[in-house]
Amino acid sequence: MVAPVLPFRSHPPGIYRLARAFRWLSTLVVVVLIIYAGTVVYSAYEVARSSPQSRGFTASFAPNGTVEIGGSFTLSNPGFYPIQSFSLTARITNATGVFLGNLKVGPTVIAPSSTGVFPVAVYLPVTSGSATESLLTEDQYLGLSAWGNATYAYLFPLSVTLSETRSWGAPFEGFTVTVGTPSGGGGGITVPVTISFTNDASFTEVGTLAFVIESSMGAACGSDSFSLNVLPGTLYDQTEPVSLASGCSPAGGQAVSTYTSGGTTIVLPPEAIP
Amino acid sequence: MSTPSGGTAAPRVPTGYQIPSLGYRILVAALRLIPSFLLLIALPIAVLNFASSKGIAIPISTTAVAVGGLALLALGTARYIGKPTRAFGPLSIATSLAAVVYLLYAISRSPYRLVLPGGSATVIAGYSTFLELMLIAPIFGIVAGILTTIEDARSPTERLPFDFPA
Repeated sequence: MVAPVLPFRSHPPGIYRLARAFRWLSTLVVVVLIIYAGTVVYSAYEVARSSPQSRGFTASFAPNGTVEIGGSFTLSNPGFYPIQSFSLTARITNATGVFLGNLKVGPTVIAPSSTGVFPVAVYLPVTSGSATESLLTEDQYLGLSAWGNATYAYLFPLSVTLSETRSWGAPFEGFTVTVGTPSGGGGGITVPVTISFTNDASFTEVGTLAFVIESSMGAACGSDSFSLNVLPGTLYDQTEPVSLASGCSPAGGQAVSTYTSGGTTIVLPPEAIP
Repeated sequence: MSTPSGGTAAPRVPTGYQIPSLGYRILVAALRLIPSFLLLIALPIAVLNFASSKGIAIPISTTAVAVGGLALLALGTARYIGKPTRAFGPLSIATSLAAVVYLLYAISRSPYRLVLPGGSATVIAGYSTFLELMLIAPIFGIVAGILTTIEDARSPTERLPFDFPA
């Protein structure tokens, strides 16, 4: 049923035009935001599909009694919108929760259709006498906590936290210095000194391992060094005769070892001599 | 406005109005329900169910989406059918208010916290700013509804020739 055609005024009144404008604006806002949301979802899916990658991580001894673990972190942004205020922080602790080191990336912006490559490096202290010297001689699990923040497509803040354990291969796993029974007479007394360990680190140890045999009073009884070229995963076990200083007994003393490679010096935990 | 012959056309001046019958308006409103149902209820619930089936925690319950969507559909349909009447303004306000409540509920669920299977990683995504922008639409709708209500109160048939030109 249709109503009869009635006469009316020719121009819409102002209040009508205003209401109509607001309705159109309302519709426009919805349409624009729906299109925006659709493109954001598509772009975010593309970013997730490209997935962040950690590449080329290598470990090596570094100055100041540290092991450097370095590499790069890559994040592709194939979408339509920038990744703003992107930052990433990672914190490494040992099994007992002692802080070892951290790394930071950003804050930075990854433009649309681009890839951000961020070199990262973390330095783990392996100084003898520190709470973390066991990193040198004991395989263990380390705690890795990482968290990242970013704002995607101007409006969507994101944060990611990650917590996991990673195995740590000690470069001098099971390091022992064994001092044998002194032998010899008037021409000098020598002791056989055996050094053994396994290189469970991911890098080859090339350098010199020097040691000093100290008496219980701290006097140096004798010293020598070994040339090292120990591949990852390899057992090292060598014995050298060491001349002792006259009247110096290593019994009850200790063996102090130092690893030197390319200008880097690492002091290993002292080994007690029975 | 230019005509094909290069002259200037006079503004279109309606010569009357013709209100569609109630049955016709119900029919059109029912047809409009189809895309609205897909957009407001079917699609969101399908996405939420898909995420849930993959073990992904969902930020908003399917029940809330269904209830909110049905409320918006019912009010939107009533608004369309009631367009020639004085109820149009108040129904526009009610529909927009329902949308505001729905959006505010969704904002209260932000940020979305997703714990990945295994529990070693957590992703937190905020979307409240986007929904706050989305609030502009129903707020404009409320303003339009208020203006229409005022206009209808002053002159009940004043807008009909422009809403339903013959």
